[in-house]
Formats: sequence, C-alpha cells, structure tokens
Amino acid sequence: MKALAIVLAIVFFVLGLLYGMGTINVFTKSGTEHSHHMTHLVVCWVLALLCLIWYRFQSSAATR
Amino acid sequence: MTLLQAVVLALLQGVSELFPISSLGHTILVPAVLHWNNINRSDPTFLAFVVVLHLGTAVALIVFYRRQWAAIVRALVASVIRGKLSNDRDERIGWLLVVGTIPVGILGVILEQPVRALFGSPAPAAIFLAINGLVMFAGEALRRRQQVAEKRVDRPMQSLSFFQSVLIGFAQSFALLPGISRSGASMVAGLLCDLDHEDAAHFSFLLATPVIFAAALLEIPKLVAPDAHVVAVQAVIGGILAGIAAYLSVAFLTRYFKSNDLRPFGWYCLIVGVVCFVLSRMGVLS
Repeated sequence: MKALAIVLAIVFFVLGLLYGMGTINVFTKSGTEHSHHMTHLVVCWVLALLCLIWYRFQSSAATR
Repeated sequence: MTLLQAVVLALLQGVSELFPISSLGHTILVPAVLHWNNINRSDPTFLAFVVVLHLGTAVALIVFYRRQWAAIVRALVASVIRGKLSNDRDERIGWLLVVGTIPVGILGVILEQPVRALFGSPAPAAIFLAINGLVMFAGEALRRRQQVAEKRVDRPMQSLSFFQSVLIGFAQSFALLPGISRSGASMVAGLLCDLDHEDAAHFSFLLATPVIFAAALLEIPKLVAPDAHVVAVQAVIGGILAGIAAYLSVAFLTRYFKSNDLRPFGWYCLIVGVVCFVLSRMGVLS
C-alpha cells in the first residue's frame, strides 16, 4: 500500500502539472480556458498531497 | 442587475445554501418565476457576483463553527506531524471530513460544467427539486425502518467509518444537479449511516464548508476578469447579506434538527418543484 500511495501521489502531481501547462484538456470546459485548468491543477495537487499523507501514516505504522 | 435583485439573490443564496432546498435550483427558478430576463446566468458579471455570495456563505459557516474548525485543523496538523491517527474526537472528525470531501472534489471538477449545461434551465431544476423532496421522505422512512426492524440505534458522528464518510461525500455530489440539495442529500446519507438529525445536519454543514469555500476561492479570478463589471455596492451588500442569512440559517437549523426531521422541507421541495414544473410547461416561467 505504501508503494501505491507514492505512485498515486506522483500520478496526481504530474496530472496537475499537465493541466496547469494546458497539455491535457480532458474533463475541462474548453481547451483554452486558463482558470478552469488551474482548478484541475489545484484538485490534482491536493489529491497528491493526500496520497503523501497516506504514505506518511503507513510509514510510521510500519516503523513502530 | 438592480440593487433589489442583488439583495433578493443574496438572501436567497444565504438561506437556500444551508436549508435542504437547493440553492442552485432556487437561483434558477426564482428569477424565472419573477421574469428577471435581464439576468444572464453565464454573464461574467453575474458569475462574479455569485462568487461573492459563495464567499459570504463560506465565511459565515467558518465563523459559526470557528472553535470546532480551529480544533479540527490543530488536530489534523498534529496527526500528520505525529504520523499516526489517535482517538481524539476532533482529529477523527477532521479526517472524516477530508475523506468525505474527496468525491465531491473530483466529481465537481469533472461534471460541473456538463451537468449545468444539460440541466441549468427551469424545467429540469423543478423536476430535480421535486425528486429532492421525495429523497428526503424516502430517507426518513428508511431510517425509521432501520431503527424499528433492524433495532439500529443512533451514534455520534465521530463513530462513522471512513467508507461511510465517502458515501456521505458521494451523496453530496448529487447537489451538482440543480434542484438537489447539498445539505439534504448529505443529511439523508448521514441518517442512513445511523446519525441522528442533529449530528447529520452538523456533519453536513462541516462537510459543505471546505467545498463552498474552495469553490469560491477557485472562482476568484472571475471577480477580476476584464469583462466582469461587478458593481462594488451590489457585491459588498450581496456578500454581507448572504453571510448574515447563512449564519442565521445555520443557527436556526442546528436548533431545529435537535427535535425535528426533514419532512417539512420534503413537502416544500415537492410542492414547489411540481408547481414550477407545471408553470414551465404552461410557458409561464421565463
């Protein structure tokens, strides 16, 4: 599960980056509306952060 | 938009965001009933005004639950630093809220635009408002059946499982449909997870706060969009009135749900939904 958390964090981080750069437009209203892509970037990065927190909880549980 | 329209929309937003009667449905139906044809819901100026109303509502919710939010944030930060979950009540509620917010966060960015484009007119909003009423009746009936037939008893909100919190958050996502109430859907889900009405409403309001606040923050660029000519007086008055209305609404509802249930709101939604649908079929709604 630790590996899954890290992989998901990386995937969400990269997805956010791609939305922010406008490289991908899936699930956006239009391919050119900048603010909408920023929303997707923020949501992806928040999910990445949550995955990292999940990883942290698993790591400290494993070391105990 | 006139000042009177701004005041009515602000009060409507503040009240209907927290009462289980769908703010989105009402902001579609009320201008249609009153024939406010000068209001274009996709106009940048109107969108910017709506952002201010949402900010006012979110600030009111944060102010009302300020002590609990401060305790929740402190507990969450402490648990991340510690790297371990504890039995602390605020920490448990905090993580339940984080987990419960994920479904609406993901579904919101994916589905909000297409759903609004498909159903953002009076007739679908009226149908969904009537369905919202039926959902509340069904929720109350199922809860009574659970308690009588299965001998299930109420439990405190911190005893929810993370899976149940995700389910309640998922139910909240149905509020993307105009006419379905965010607080109504999440309260019904909370009731079916064995919360009492007071705790179901409390959890629903806490769960709504980050969503409303984040949505308003993410929409702030619309306030400074070049074609958004927001009249400062209307925006300021609208934001303050929406905040006051939301504060009074949450204060009323937290008392109301100590000893009452969702059925009066169910009747309201059912009747208003059916009447508005008939009016829209008759061509009376603009």
